[in-house]
Amino acid sequence: MSDSNSNDACVVERVIDAPVELVWQMWTKAEHFKNWYGPMGFSIPVAEIDAQIGGKHLFCMKSPDGNMTMWSTGEFTELVPNQRLVYTDSPCDAEGNLMSPQAMGMPEGYPTTTEVKVELEDLGGKTKMVLTHTGVPAGAADGWSQAFEKMGALVATL
Amino acid sequence: MINNDDQLSITFSALANGTRRAILARLAEGEATVNELAEPFQMSLPAISKHIKVLERAGLIVQGQKAQYRPCSLDVSPLVEVANWTDQYRPIWEARFDQMDTYINELTNKENNDE
Repeated sequence: MSDSNSNDACVVERVIDAPVELVWQMWTKAEHFKNWYGPMGFSIPVAEIDAQIGGKHLFCMKSPDGNMTMWSTGEFTELVPNQRLVYTDSPCDAEGNLMSPQAMGMPEGYPTTTEVKVELEDLGGKTKMVLTHTGVPAGAADGWSQAFEKMGALVATL
Repeated sequence: MINNDDQLSITFSALANGTRRAILARLAEGEATVNELAEPFQMSLPAISKHIKVLERAGLIVQGQKAQYRPCSLDVSPLVEVANWTDQYRPIWEARFDQMDTYINELTNKENNDE
């Protein structure tokens, strides 16, 4: 869990045109978080964030047609204001009870928990943000079919 | 979690070799015997067999059981995990951060208008 070598993590770096204090609030204040976190077109009807070590979060993402909701929960394991936060993330039901990856349609052996790490650097009015997502399971149901479609192309470039 | 990490590590270390990637690329065209796989390389058969063993342990290829003619074929399932990492999650986070940008712009404009 703690070892996030780049082989098994998704790392995304971005410079945000906003002071580091505001970017910190994007992650730690529910009223900001729900305005950007969902996939395109999804709404976030529920975002509870208890931003303290050991504090929990509960997110709900709702599909554009309203037919599908995806809940996730987890715990903050590190919080250094305006610098660094780490939380765990697992699929769950609306009450925050963890759901097995199998119940979500994932194959046997997939992890229930992933870890999201956000590191911020003050660039004087702008903010460098580095996201490291470790132990990501298959995720969306269509992830597998997309991955299979890409297989041919991927193998060809090996 | 641990099993999953281990599988990914095994997959990546198997892929971290040019000869082994070339073997996989060859098998992507169809099954082949060890002799056929060895042909393009300036390598002894035992050396090629060693690479095949590594790929086999990583679950990337399967070798037939017929004693004389044991063709190797590709099994892409370990690669699905790799593809999930690099291809599936990056665009999701990139899109979220685009939305964060847009939202921050809206916030900042609103504040400016309020002043």
